[in-house]
Amino acid sequence: MSAPTLVLGTTAALFALGAMGVLLRRNPVALLMSIEILLNAANLLLVLGARVWGNPAGQATALIVLVIAAAEAVIGLGLALALFRNRERADVDDPHEVYG
Amino acid sequence: MDELIIPLALGCAVALLSALGVIALRRPVHSAMLLLVHSVAIAALFLMLAADLAALGQVVIYSGAIVVLFLFVVALLPAGGREGAPGWTRFLAGLLTGAAMLVALASAFSVGTPPPVDSPPTGPAPVGRALFGPLLVPFELTAPLLLVAVVGAVAIWRRQERPPREQPR
Repeated sequence: MSAPTLVLGTTAALFALGAMGVLLRRNPVALLMSIEILLNAANLLLVLGARVWGNPAGQATALIVLVIAAAEAVIGLGLALALFRNRERADVDDPHEVYG
Repeated sequence: MDELIIPLALGCAVALLSALGVIALRRPVHSAMLLLVHSVAIAALFLMLAADLAALGQVVIYSGAIVVLFLFVVALLPAGGREGAPGWTRFLAGLLTGAAMLVALASAFSVGTPPPVDSPPTGPAPVGRALFGPLLVPFELTAPLLLVAVVGAVAIWRRQERPPREQPR
């Protein structure tokens, strides 16, 4: 197996694991961690493409995705805290209605 | 690149196993620590793929900032964020989605032919040139994005200031 194929398979498996985690977990924070795994898999694919084709734009895009992941984590965690701060347990199935 | 196959395989194995731990462990603190291992493994893979700048950003932003943020939030969650076991419908849905995603991605990847030539690694300078050349607009747009994220997080927090709960925790 060549090295690019190995990393390519890893990105596919990581993405599948992350998608699985998003559906499997009930804790909002663990759910956000699964989304981070998804973003890491996409980033790894971008960097692999940049390396294999010798195009530095892939690595630059990976950096931008990194910043977007940070913004997503901030908003997601803020929402999770705001939703579950006054509840007994943190479970994404619990809030049935959300008031604006 | 093929001479790095053993370290690459090691990094891939660590990244995959820690990702599995993140989604499988019940306690969010353990998940967050394994997310740290995962992000460091990804950074190591970036280094082996000659992406120094991306590896640096991965360590500083992911391992440094995001994982610490996760740990803070886990500490603030009710009951330490402990969760019950997933029901069998949830388990089935997760398993099916994971399998479908894997099959779809594998078939999509197997269609394209891998490039035959191994290009020489590029340093950080061309990355900067790409960032400030063709990718200038998305790069500049990340600044308002971060600003909106910070203001939004503060607004979400401030909006629902309520009297404290009746019974002490």
